[in-house]
Amino acid sequence: MKPPSSLEALIEALRCLPGVGPKSAQRMAYHLLQYDRDGAQKLCASIGQALQSIRRCAKCNSFTEDEICALCSSPRRDAALLAVVETPADLLMMEQTLAFPGMYFVLMGRLSPLDGIGPKDIGLDRLLARATDGVVREVILATNFTNEGEATAHYIGEMLRGRGIKVSRIARGVPVGGELEYVDSGTLAQAVVERRPL
Amino acid sequence: MSTRARQDNQLGYVLHTYPFRETSLVVETFTRAHGRVGMVARGAKRPRSALRGSIMAFQPLGLSWSGRGELRLLLRAEWQGGQPRLQGRALLCGFYLNELLLKLLPREDAHEQLFLDYQTALARLGEEAEPGAVLRRFEKALLRELGYALALDRDSASGAQIEPQGSYAYEPERGPVSINGGAPAGLVLSGRTLLDIVRDDYRDPQTLQQAKALMRLLISHRLEQKPLNSRRIFEELQQL
Repeated sequence: MKPPSSLEALIEALRCLPGVGPKSAQRMAYHLLQYDRDGAQKLCASIGQALQSIRRCAKCNSFTEDEICALCSSPRRDAALLAVVETPADLLMMEQTLAFPGMYFVLMGRLSPLDGIGPKDIGLDRLLARATDGVVREVILATNFTNEGEATAHYIGEMLRGRGIKVSRIARGVPVGGELEYVDSGTLAQAVVERRPL
Repeated sequence: MSTRARQDNQLGYVLHTYPFRETSLVVETFTRAHGRVGMVARGAKRPRSALRGSIMAFQPLGLSWSGRGELRLLLRAEWQGGQPRLQGRALLCGFYLNELLLKLLPREDAHEQLFLDYQTALARLGEEAEPGAVLRRFEKALLRELGYALALDRDSASGAQIEPQGSYAYEPERGPVSINGGAPAGLVLSGRTLLDIVRDDYRDPQTLQQAKALMRLLISHRLEQKPLNSRRIFEELQQL
């Protein structure tokens, strides 16, 4: 028997979630309709609500319900420091360190030439406007240490240095509490290349 | 084509990766003995995966895999070292080389000479300030490996030797043809440029500039005009 068309549409819609193929989507759809219609109602309402109320923070580009997010409007943060990260998850990780008192800019991606992701796709123009607001004195590039993250950091660095802003890059090397014997060779090699004088 | 399913510690490079299922990656590699091989790195996105740190482009790796299908199963990727990390503009050039290989080289076709050319190009990109000559040498090597013998030292209409002082119109399927008076359509190159490219000598700025235009024409022709992302993004970044 062919499933009804709205069921088919639901299955198709669920497939937009990451890691959900046709089989999982079908299982989810049957589950929602058969065992958890309340849950389905809630899911439907909260997706609608989120889509309507969540937008990008005018300052840091991350998700917020207000014009400017809580972190960006906090008076306790040092507005002269701006850390550039790739994703909101990276921002949370930085926050957990309690080591960074400044503000953030979230790129929501990285330059990835092979995937066709260029400067226009990661809002470099918005970052430029944010970093040249007259208050920011130092931009700290905290993109990933992948090739894509490095390329992103390089070009942001060039763009901002050309406009007289101090730019720094977070350091990399042997992890805190790490023993050389168990560190991977690539990390150790880079730590030797980037050694610093004592 | 390999006959054995399992391969151990094969020298190769990661060209590109993309997400596959929840925690896995599809890894496109270029290996010395087997050419381009596609693999799945299972669980490579998990925090403690042994593959996580080593699956990185532009670094020589010892790759082990098994399976026979379109996508093999990547078992190990061991760091070999010796290649300094590419930075800045050199990194963008590296992405360009990888995109060329991904778009032009068919899978499972060994190209040992091209592999050596790729290694040389990466090493030079890490050392040299001006990447132009490095890219032109690699593009020429790639076209040669793809079976597109570059016609450079003879006029394809008359068969005469190229004169350094002459001007030649170049068409991809034809080669250089001497221009006698008439205004030609398409790319015009000096005889000197053609002879310099034969010798891989890119010291002359005009040669470098014309060689770039020629390689761009020939590569677009091979790609059937499909655009190259890395080239577009490089141009966008220049405007920042």
